Amino acid sequence: MVLHNIKNIFNDITIDGDKLFVKSNIYQVLNFIKNNYHFNLLKEIIAIDNKDAGIELIYHLYNIEDDENVFISITTKEEIESVSQIFNSAIADEKEIYDMFGINFIGHKELKRLYMPETWQGHPLRKDYVEEDARLNWNEKT
Amino acid sequence: MNYLYFLYIEFLAKHNIPQIFGDITFYVIPCTIIFIALLIAILALVLLERKLLGWFTQRKGPNRVGLWGLLQTLADALKLLCKENITPNNADKFLFNLAPVIIFIPVMIVLGLIPFSSEFTFMNFQTNLLIYIIVATMPVLSILLAGWASNNKYSLFGAMRNIAQILAYELPIAFTILSITVLASSMNLTQITLAQSSKLGLLGWFFIPCFLGLIIMFICTLAELNRCPFDLPEAESELVCGYNTEYSGMRFALLYLSEYGMLLANALLIAVLFFGGYLSPFGGYLTTGFWIYIEQVSWLLIKTFLIIFLIVWIRATLPRMSSPNLLKLSWSILLPASIINLFLVVIIKYIGGV
Amino acid sequence: MKKLKLNLGPQHPSTHGVLRLILELEGEKILSCEPDVGYLHRGLEKMAERLSYIQYLPLVDRIDYLASFFYSELLCRTVEKALGIELDKKVCMIRVLLLELNRISSHLLWIGAYLMDLGATSPFFYTMREREMILKLFEKITGQRMMNNYFVYGGVRHDIFALDDIECIINTIEKKILDYENIITENPIFLQRTKNKGIISKETGLNGSITGVNLRASGINLDLRKNDYLYSDINYKSIILETGDSWDRYKARILEIIESCKIVKQTLDYLQKTSGLKQNLINPIGIKLPEGSFYSEIEAPRGLASVYIKSTGEKTPYRLKWRTGSYYAVNLLRKLLINEHLNDAIAIAGSLDIILPEVDK
Repeated sequence: MVLHNIKNIFNDITIDGDKLFVKSNIYQVLNFIKNNYHFNLLKEIIAIDNKDAGIELIYHLYNIEDDENVFISITTKEEIESVSQIFNSAIADEKEIYDMFGINFIGHKELKRLYMPETWQGHPLRKDYVEEDARLNWNEKT
Repeated sequence: MNYLYFLYIEFLAKHNIPQIFGDITFYVIPCTIIFIALLIAILALVLLERKLLGWFTQRKGPNRVGLWGLLQTLADALKLLCKENITPNNADKFLFNLAPVIIFIPVMIVLGLIPFSSEFTFMNFQTNLLIYIIVATMPVLSILLAGWASNNKYSLFGAMRNIAQILAYELPIAFTILSITVLASSMNLTQITLAQSSKLGLLGWFFIPCFLGLIIMFICTLAELNRCPFDLPEAESELVCGYNTEYSGMRFALLYLSEYGMLLANALLIAVLFFGGYLSPFGGYLTTGFWIYIEQVSWLLIKTFLIIFLIVWIRATLPRMSSPNLLKLSWSILLPASIINLFLVVIIKYIGGV
Repeated sequence: MKKLKLNLGPQHPSTHGVLRLILELEGEKILSCEPDVGYLHRGLEKMAERLSYIQYLPLVDRIDYLASFFYSELLCRTVEKALGIELDKKVCMIRVLLLELNRISSHLLWIGAYLMDLGATSPFFYTMREREMILKLFEKITGQRMMNNYFVYGGVRHDIFALDDIECIINTIEKKILDYENIITENPIFLQRTKNKGIISKETGLNGSITGVNLRASGINLDLRKNDYLYSDINYKSIILETGDSWDRYKARILEIIESCKIVKQTLDYLQKTSGLKQNLINPIGIKLPEGSFYSEIEAPRGLASVYIKSTGEKTPYRLKWRTGSYYAVNLLRKLLINEHLNDAIAIAGSLDIILPEVDK
């Protein structure tokens, strides 16, 4: 793992395989990793609602020269810094996550509904999202 | 035309009908003929294009209505007649309805100026050619009306592009036509046709001394007709349908058919200016007597068909030009080339005394 | 000059579906572009949380209707990885064969549709003719033309046949590609419309996360097939071009079709020699993935496609996330179209090969 010495710079990071667990300062961590280790492709941002533990965001970075993947995980409740200044493509990902999980990205310029209508209530992929439509629950009855 | 006129008057005199009746009806009959013939020709042209495009793209083309699909365009026209005419809410209703009506007038006038045979020109003035190029640019006004009155951004873009295009391509056409005038020493289309007649048949036609002019004229005609690769005003993938986006029913049909009317007229003009009009390519005619007129018309139509075939072939092959390049092509290549062509033709005329 | 706001789409002939571009124009020059997506959103990720794995499998074909094999392969692969199922070599070869045929058909459709965007109508019919052969073959093998649902967890639905047909189709396509090159590639108007238009530099491409052919045309060697276990026995070279303009993206797809034909031929060689099919099928009812998160990716025709599954040991995934190539290409339009002429904008947007169901998920 090329990132083993990142611990010296950011002390609240834990490494597990190709997964990095970050507590805070995601902007600075990504900026550092991009500039110093050539992880210059943000493949995607994955969001997972872990119920009470908050929403986990996994930034999937890729280094083309060394063909290496890294997953940087951070957990948040409501808001987090936007990384769209570092990776242009994060604009798209963050918009989607805002729509689906309701996470507010600080510094994102055009945060608004992407897939759902502007007037939609709630954020569909959250686990506490209430669906009142009976058709959505057909599979669970059996 | 005088010959036909005397035949007609003689025919009336035999049946004791006063000559004044003949004088009046003689100008009504050609107008009726031209209108009916024009409609039939346009319908045939639409079918022809669809068939040819079908064959170029490995399809069958229309083949269901009538024998080999011959009645397809008629059926389409009937369908369009029966459809509702929708006027958009915020459109300028008067202009919106006016545009398709007045677009057909220049098309009909222009066709009347073409000499179909030595005795068959409906309007034979000394300056036929000049009238032609003036009237042939008129449809663009109704296109502007249509685009403006529709209150649709796509229509407006289509109309704007069309105006820019016509402005750019009118000038090279004028210079090319001027060189033909120099060669024939006349602005009358019948005189121009006769100036191309020689014992050598097709070697006397003007496409030989004025070959550069032919190419310029052909490209400019494509541009004026909004045909591919210059079909920017109605670029389907960009402007949906261009200036006739909002039109429906018979109004759409009129706009659509007028385009084909202009295509026919322009192909006829090229045939007259460069390919000897109604002249036979062998020097002399194959038939005698009254049949000569039929033969002359057939020669002209064959030449026209070949030109239209070429236009359709180009449509099937080429992608669309980009808009800045379109204007660049005209102002920086075609216009200088047409002036050079004029000089060349003058020199040829001076040396050869054609 | 007054600014003009133009809604390009969602119903527009050139947007290949329901993409809406909100353009701000000055004359015909584009000042700003804002893509608006979501008209085709089906909630595929939400549905995954309610469907069992075997119920979800037919659904993933619908993510990208032009490359349905890739997405079902992706899901199968992730589940197989999670359950520790190893595939027989013949199954791998069958999958590669169908994936590459699917890639060819997808690129063929793109070539036709792109030329249609540029105003040339005939190439569309020519490429559709070749694509039709492939779709007919898919129908013969899998029973469906587009939504194939042929790959299952641990193998394929049944043994492949009609190998002679495939060989014939590949030979025809290799011949017809030359025809396209003749009519399109060096056409002066085509060059005018595409050369040096819509250039995506290496940095812009990486920063915008576009992948696949679009990125390789810009000169970056990112081809996931080189790490892919399916392709481990196959010789091929990935197509890397230089400038990253529209013409390069076109040329890269043409070359990729030729390359895919070669891959198909290699798999055919193998398949013609072997007989019988050894599969490791699992009981599809009540598949339960072990606790943990599983990630896999594949080189789809429209770029990197990946799926991330988090499982808690239930019948259904806890969270399933798709990554599709087109979504990022749509977002790049925001930058790419600025200061372009409306007329070129269509040519540039078309060259990125955007498929809307893939964007909207």
